[in-house]
Parts: sequence; structure tokens; C-alpha cells
Amino acid sequence: MPRIKLTEYRAKKLLLGDAYRGIPIIANEKPELPKLGRFAVKVDQGVKKRMKKGLVLLDQSPRAISGVVSKLRKNGLASSPTGGFSRFLAEPMLRHNEKDEQYVSFERVREGIRFMHAKAGGIEIESNPEAVETFILRNAADVKAAAQKTKLPENFLKHALEVFENNFFAFLEINPLVVINGKAEPLDAAVLVDSAGAFFVKDAWTADDIVEKTAGSRAEKNIEELAKTSPASFKLNVLNPNGSLFFLLSGGGGSIVIADEAELRGAGKEIGNYGEYSGGPTRGETYLYAKEVIGLLIKSKAKRKALIIAGGVANFTDVKQTFMGVIDALAENCEKLNKAGVKVFVRRGGPNEKEGLELMKNFLKKEKLLGSVYGSDAVITKAVDDAIKFIKVNRH
Amino acid sequence: MAEFMTPIEAARKGKAKILVLGSHPAIVQSILDFDFISGKKSPSVLGLITGNRKAEKYFFGQSEMLIPCYPAIDAVPSEIKKQINWMLNLQSGRRAFESTIGFFEAFPQALGGHIFAENMPEKHATELISRFGSKYLIAGPSGVGLLIPGSLKLGAIGGVDLRQISASKLSTPGSVAVVSTSGGMTNELIRAVADAGKRLSFAAAIGGDRFPITPLTDMLKLAESDTNTKALVYFGELGGVDEYEIVDMLKSKRFTKPVVAYIAGVIDEAFDEHMQFGHAKALVSRKDESARAKRAALRSAGVIASDTFPEFLEEISKLSGTREISRNVKLYDIDKLMKREKSILSTREIINIEKAVSFVKGKKLAVNGEHIFVKATLEALLGRPVKSKITTGFAEAVFTSLIDHGGHVSGAVNTMITARAGKDLVSSLAAGLLTIGPRFGGAVNAAAKVWLAGVSGKTSPSAFVESESRKAAIIPGIGHLKYRVGLPDPRVEALSKFALLLKKHPYYDFARGIEKVTTGKNGKLILNIDGVIAALFLDILSECEGFSAKELLEFTDAELFNAFFVIPRSVGFISHFIEQKKNDEGLFRLPEELLFVRKKES
Repeated sequence: MPRIKLTEYRAKKLLLGDAYRGIPIIANEKPELPKLGRFAVKVDQGVKKRMKKGLVLLDQSPRAISGVVSKLRKNGLASSPTGGFSRFLAEPMLRHNEKDEQYVSFERVREGIRFMHAKAGGIEIESNPEAVETFILRNAADVKAAAQKTKLPENFLKHALEVFENNFFAFLEINPLVVINGKAEPLDAAVLVDSAGAFFVKDAWTADDIVEKTAGSRAEKNIEELAKTSPASFKLNVLNPNGSLFFLLSGGGGSIVIADEAELRGAGKEIGNYGEYSGGPTRGETYLYAKEVIGLLIKSKAKRKALIIAGGVANFTDVKQTFMGVIDALAENCEKLNKAGVKVFVRRGGPNEKEGLELMKNFLKKEKLLGSVYGSDAVITKAVDDAIKFIKVNRH
Repeated sequence: MAEFMTPIEAARKGKAKILVLGSHPAIVQSILDFDFISGKKSPSVLGLITGNRKAEKYFFGQSEMLIPCYPAIDAVPSEIKKQINWMLNLQSGRRAFESTIGFFEAFPQALGGHIFAENMPEKHATELISRFGSKYLIAGPSGVGLLIPGSLKLGAIGGVDLRQISASKLSTPGSVAVVSTSGGMTNELIRAVADAGKRLSFAAAIGGDRFPITPLTDMLKLAESDTNTKALVYFGELGGVDEYEIVDMLKSKRFTKPVVAYIAGVIDEAFDEHMQFGHAKALVSRKDESARAKRAALRSAGVIASDTFPEFLEEISKLSGTREISRNVKLYDIDKLMKREKSILSTREIINIEKAVSFVKGKKLAVNGEHIFVKATLEALLGRPVKSKITTGFAEAVFTSLIDHGGHVSGAVNTMITARAGKDLVSSLAAGLLTIGPRFGGAVNAAAKVWLAGVSGKTSPSAFVESESRKAAIIPGIGHLKYRVGLPDPRVEALSKFALLLKKHPYYDFARGIEKVTTGKNGKLILNIDGVIAALFLDILSECEGFSAKELLEFTDAELFNAFFVIPRSVGFISHFIEQKKNDEGLFRLPEELLFVRKKES
């Protein structure tokens, strides 16, 4: 399952528990701030290279914090179409020596937990591989050996691993980490959790703790919502909103093959959307997915447009049921599609293929949308090839 | 000492027997269909671990059969347990970890399995790898399973539609192995191999999760050591480093057979930001995880890595040295097999309907015995001691005949549906009894009223029929859906012999007189069992027990004659109830296509 990023606040809260004194600040809320002390104020939305981007302000007085937050909020407007940053974190400043900053990370790998350590923190480990020591931790003995070698407190390692396992972390990076008087203090913490673990962690982390990606289009958001409600799989990415090729593809692997073919024929830039549906969706779910794609197609300003309904030979996704869902969505838009001269190209195989293809062909013929319809006896790329021929005609 | 066999070779040599954890009817049925067209004598699925039922109905070929369901592994009987050697885990990602551990702890001698779930936590997957990865062949988590033509279909792999299974020639073993992380493309490749005139040695869909239990390298090791496999066809995508492992194996000669591969994902070059494609792993973060780099690396190791999909298909057909193991493959009429219709209720035979027990032989009562229960019952109903053996004999005959008349009659159906709704015996019995009325089993009393009226009114049968016809009324005791002139009801024939024991039988005569008139109009309007019981009981109660016509009329007011149906039929209903509980197929629901629904007017 996908690895998803938590807020720095939640990451540190899980790692440090009640000892953690950070204060999350969400959008317009006015948090309870202590009267004394100095604070670091940061944007807490999974943004990389925050320092460089000016999204971390150090040594602020308590009174200055809300001013800093509003400044940071406006800062994000240029990069985010939905109105700037909305999540921040205020932490008590930790005085330390920059020389004492170290790097540690933990990642779940096949053999166990891969633990990486560098004595000099804040570095890009990818560009300084020789500075990094790697250990595979499988048991208590491994942990002890790693603690000895890195001179990090063994308790810290043990505790970090416990938190890691209990909360279904997939990746934990603390950069920088400082060890003061034998106590390990994370100055920054980034956690990727295994989203499949959500059920098992109860409320240790929830949807509120997940850093949102930059807002996508409404169609993409709708499909994200749809995917949450079903055991079947749905993905949608808008590529070129004014493209001429729009895809309703099935299967992760097959969809890439078909998209590849478009690129190979020089039509890669014409692709309006990439995505796929698979894993046995119902007629109703397929209808909702197709509706979004057809909506995108209709909005596109391209002169000639084609809809490609294609995929491999499914194992258990019912071609008849899913095609009925697609037909339901097409039926709502026939007038607009005809007006734009849109044609539909199909290649699909799987359970109830014969009935599904027949239904589709008859419908497309009736509504004057027929480009071509093929089953498993044609090559997987047939539909997209036919569609590209279609859009290339009369191109200026 | 037995020579070491890989799980694939073991599956080919021995009998693959699967225990399914959870259920997914289409997938299980596809396995049975695969078994059938592979020529197996019995299904490879021996049981399902699932709640709420004791059996699930499937087809093996065209015959229906029940596969037993158990609430837990320890409920599986030992004679079945000792045969199990494969696990098919269809449970969700939340439950699959525990149940997989439970399976391999209960069946340490198993060969492997498939975990279908797509959302198993990474932590669980790595734990399973640590515990079982080196010992068992496990396809998954995710993906569609493992296929060994003619021997084992473990998962949705190859399709769930009999036409697909047949078109991909999955019953014929061959020499091309197909491996991929993509379930859909595994199936596309399986079909491509068949279309190219070749056959599979085995196919494995590893699943697109980050940590497959049996990884790609192990699948390659299996392909290398499998003597049947002469070549490998592989589909991969951008992202991840699996293909570099193939390169390593080739360069170090741990894999020596020809490989034809297609690595998809050049589309990524057309866009600035890396896309997240279908699989958890296919997220490109470093350059060398691109499709082009992987193709180049594979080529450097001697793999034929095509640049386009059609070229890839060409290369598959060009694979040399792949021979099909010839076998007498029986050809099945797939369309005919697919026309099978599932029954919606199953039950057992309660009594032999075809044979009616004969209580009168020659002109004598043939049953001798004390009839203690029947006698006591009659005395309770009639309110006084029984005078004649004929009366007891007739009641015995009636009770025996009416215990059951098959599971398709309304009352039995009601009882069975109620039982399958999880209700108790009394509720289910009551549900069946509530069907009894003017159209089913409840006509005995109404017929008695008619015979009484006819005889006491001294009407002729034809005049009586005439007056009823004008009213467009149905005559109770006359008519049957199944039996007719030329196809008599054996029960009616046997019971009618009681007339021979009586000196006079005016009610019986009247009833038969009515029948003569009605069968003249329609062959199905015979004297039915309700009618003959009513008529003969009236005659017997009159002649042998001395009841007056007035007393008999009082009995009909109290519906006594229906009791002669209710008492024995209760036994039948309860028997159907017991059968439903034994082979509990879960809640009943009428298939949509069997129900006509008239749309609401708008």
C-alpha cells in the first residue's frame, strides 16, 4: 500500500509522547501559546527544503508567532492554487551546536529495518554516500551492535524502533538529530506511514495527520474520494487538459503499455489524462469514474478528440458490468460528444467479454460515436492506434 | 528417499488440493471449471473457511455440487486436512496475515499459496517473508496467483470466465513460463502465449506490493530448475529495481534460459513530474528506474527487451525450442457448459414419491400391527375409541402417503427458505404450515364438504359440475398440476383400494362420478389425493365408526379433515428443515432473473 507522509507534529508526538512541546497551528485557529520562551515556527506540510525556501523562522518570541504564521501563509499562495499554506508548527528553540547535528533514518525493507546514520547531519545523504553507515536491524542484538558502532544511545534506538513498529511506519528520517547529555533530540522528523496500517493503529495517526498533496483538479479529487470507498482501484491524473486523447484504461500494467504506445506514435503530449480502474469495480463505480473522464474530455479545447476505452485481458473484472457503467456515463453526454465530433475506440478482454463488447458496439453505433471496438483477439494497443489515426486527420 | 521436487513439479505430479480462506464465488468456480476441463475427476478445492453457512453450491462441469464451509481451520475434518497442500487466501488485507500464519501452522507440509488481498501492511508482509518466505511458494500479497496448466489454478489468474480459461488453453502443459507483477498483464501474456501457438509451463503473478512473499528472483529460480520450462516471458514497468535482479541472475548464470521481456513506461519521459502509476512500487525517483534504462540493462544481459508491444508479441512467437507436451485433450463444448443454471434450493429425498405404499392387498387389509400412535391420534381427534381396524388402517395409509411430496411444493419451499434465514425449527415449520389452504394441502376439508353436500342433496354428479361451472368455481378435491388421465397419482391409486373393504361407499362413488364428468373436459381434472382422502374418510367414518351425516358435517365445520394433511406433512417439513440446517447454504435470495417486477407508473 502507498506510503503516506505525516505531519512533523504527529511524527514527533508519536516519537516523544507527552515530552513533546510542539504546538500545531492550523490555518485560522489561535493556539494556546506559552508566554515565555523562544520558538521556531515552521510550515508543516511535507514541504522539502524548507529552510532554503524561507519556510522556517527561528528564535521567535511568543507574541510574534501569529504574525509569522500569517506571513508564511501568504507565502504559499503562489505555489498553491487553493490559498496558501494552512498548517504550521511552533516549537521551543533547542540551543545546540551545529557540529553536533547527526543524521538517522529508518526504513522498512525486506530483511528488516534498514537503519542509516551519518555523523554530520543536515546533509544530502544521496550526494555523500561515504559518510553514511547502514545497518539492517532484525533483533535486539542487531540494535545493540548498531548503537555501539554509531555511539548513539541504545535506548533511543530501541524506542524509535518500537514506535516505528507499533505505528506501522514505513520510513522515519530525523535530520538533524542532536544528542545532548546522552539524550537524543530530533530537531526535525519526517515519517512515511504504511497506509494499509491505518486499521491497526486505531487512532495513533488518522487522516488529519496526513500531509495533503498540493490540490489537484476537481476530477482528481473526486476519484480520490471514490477510491476510498471501494476495494477496487481507481486512479486519475490530469496531464494535458486540452489534449485530444482521453483514456478510460483498465489495469495498472496494461494502462502503461497503452500510454507508451501514444508516446511512441508521437502523440504523448496529446494525452489528456492518465489513470486506470481495476480490481473488479461495480457498474456504479465505473460509471462515476467514466463520468469524470468524459467531463474532462468535453472541457478540452482540442479540435479533434477521441475517447479510448482499453485494457488487457482482465482476470476477474467483469467487462460487461464495467462497460454498462461506461455506457451509463456516455449516455448522459451524447449530445455534447456528438457536437464535438468525438469518437470512441475500444479494446478489452476478460470475463463476459463477448456480451460487454456487443453492448458497447451497439450503443456506440446507435449514438454515432463508433470509432472501433475490439476484443482480446486484437493487440492491446489497437484502440489507441486507431484513435491516433483519427485525431491526426485534418490536423492543421 | 524421495527426490527433491520444486512446488511446481510436486503440483504436477501429485494432486493439488486447496483450502480457501474466505470466499469469492467467481474465483472458486473458475478453479472448478479449470479442474473439469483439465480432466480431473474431482475438484481441487476441498473446503472454504467462511462463516454463516455450511456449504456453498458450485458446478463441476454441469453437475451441481456442494463444497463444505467451516468456521475455522480446526473445524476441518482430519480426512480432508491431510489432503490439503495449497492455500488460497481471499480475505481482506486486515485479516490475511493472521489467517496465513494459521494455515501454515496447521499445514506445515503444504507447498504454498496465494494471498489475494491488496492492502496488507508492509509489516505483515515482511513478517510472513521472515517466517515462510524460504519454505513455501507464496504468490502475493496482491496479484492474481499461480497457474500450472492442467494441475493447479490458484487464484483469479487466467480468468474467471470459462471461455477465457478455454481460450488460453490452460489445460495443456507447455514450456513457456510467464511472470509479472501485474495481474492484468500476466493474463494478457498468458493469452499471447496461447495465441502464438505455444503453451505455458507455469504462470505467476507476483503482485505489485513492495514486499512480495516469493519475490521475482525466487520465481526465476523456480523457472530455472523446472525442467519443463524452456523460456521465460516477462512484463515489467518503470519504477523499482526488480529487472536489475534479473540482469544479475543472468550475468552470474543463475538463470540461463531465454528471456523475452517488455518493460512499459516510456510515457514517463513525456512529462516533467514523475507519475505514480498503477502499482505501489512504480514510483520513479531515480533515473535508472526508468523503462528505457531497464530495457538497456536487460539487453546487455542477453534479454530480448522489445521497444514496442507488437514487437514483443512477435518475439514471443519466435521463441524456439518450446514444445507442447502432447496430451489427449478432451474438447468440451464450452457454450453448452456455460448454459448451466444453478438450482436455487437443494434438499434430499424425504420419502420415495414414486412408490406408494400399498395397504390393501387383494381385498384385505394388508398391514397388521398395533398402530398404537395412529389409534391414539384418531381417538384424540374423534373424541371416542376407534371401532374398526379399517379406520386405523386407512389413517395409517393416509399419514404415510402424505409425509412429503418433494421440496418444490409451496409449503416445503417456505420451510426451507425460513430455515436458511437462520430461523428455528418451530418458526420454519410454521412458515410451511401457513401455506396450507385452499390451494395447497388444505383442500381435504373443502372436498369433504362438497362430497357431503352432493350426497345429502342427492344431486347427480353432472348436475353438480354444471352448477359449479356456471359459478366458475373450482371443485376442491379435483385437479392436479402434475398428474392427469394416463399419468395417475400412485397415492390415489393405493388409497382407492380401501373402497374394496367397504360394503358401501356413497361419498367415494360421488367423487368418482364428479371425476368422470370433469376429466371429460380436461385430462388434468382428476380426483386428487385431497379428494379421495376426504371421500373415503367420510365413507369409513360413516360405515365403520357409525357417525351420522350431521356429525360428519360438524367435523367439517371444525376442519378435522385438514388435520389429516397437517399431521403427516409436519414430519416432512421438519425433515426438510433438518436438511437445510445440515447443509446450510446461507440466506436465500431469489435470483433477479427469476423475478418479474412491473415498474411503478410514473
